[in-house]
Amino acid sequence: MPTWFTPAAVVCGLMFATSPFLIANAPYESTMGLVQKIFYVHLPSAWMFLLAAIVCGVASIRFLFRGDSRHDRLAWAAAELVVLFGLVTLVTGPLWARKAWGVWWQWDVRLTSSLIGWMVAVAYLLLRQYGGPGSDKLAAGLALFGMANVPFIYISVNYWRTIHPLTSVVPTLPTSFGLPLWFSAVTFFLCFLLLLRARVRLEEQRARLDALYLSVDA
Amino acid sequence: MMKCTVVAVFVIWTLGMVGGERPGGPALHWPATAALHAQQPAPQDEFVPIDELPPQDQLPAAPLLVTAYAFVVLALFAYLLSVARRLGGVQRDLERLESDLKRNGRA
Repeated sequence: MPTWFTPAAVVCGLMFATSPFLIANAPYESTMGLVQKIFYVHLPSAWMFLLAAIVCGVASIRFLFRGDSRHDRLAWAAAELVVLFGLVTLVTGPLWARKAWGVWWQWDVRLTSSLIGWMVAVAYLLLRQYGGPGSDKLAAGLALFGMANVPFIYISVNYWRTIHPLTSVVPTLPTSFGLPLWFSAVTFFLCFLLLLRARVRLEEQRARLDALYLSVDA
Repeated sequence: MMKCTVVAVFVIWTLGMVGGERPGGPALHWPATAALHAQQPAPQDEFVPIDELPPQDQLPAAPLLVTAYAFVVLALFAYLLSVARRLGGVQRDLERLESDLKRNGRA
């Protein structure tokens, strides 16, 4: 592991321990009350979900055009994080919606496109796991669709009629709401980097093991 | 003629009492129906703010909030454990294979 990994993990742990206090001290939103505090984990996890899909897509493009297996390993690691943070987003969102909207789920464009993005990542992982030889290139092609879906997920609320909040909410947040949100976002980003690095390390070690087995067989 | 009219009115009234509901309300002969009607809330003429609803009709926020935060912590922790377990397994395989290769002089 790189030298920055352990200090970053300690900082991330401390930030995770601190964020509940900041969130608890944040004011209650006037119409939704207590349940609005789900926002402080829902939004950062949604950002990491989209970021992971972009990392997976860019690494897949580089793998497809350059054939470097390091990019393939990065894409595989990022795809797992798409599934992880996507799952967190898709679970915390309905828990918030049940109270705020009165329904668990709404088939509007933001929610549906997010679900599709998550399912593309699940399909990527299934393809890598069970696809056999050649599945790396096929999965890389699939990752491009996952990345192409990201801007669609982001801007969808501004162009279609939806009950989901618009993208203009975050830039206009008062400091009392914005501080815990950005603190939580930095914490999630650090967690994302650490998990990505650990997952890439796993693929590196697997590649090393495969190379050793091949040298034994040769 | 008068006697026939009185008998007819009595028969119709009796059938109405025994046979079911009258348009104006529940039949007195059916206590279950009467109880069912009594359970239904009175019609609402205007919007009621959620804070003014009785407590049993308000959806509590705390369980939803706790579930969301618990899920986040559990999901991240489970994934971290999964990566650590897989990494540990690969590391052990690597060390075993490398020691075998050294022992056989092929390193």
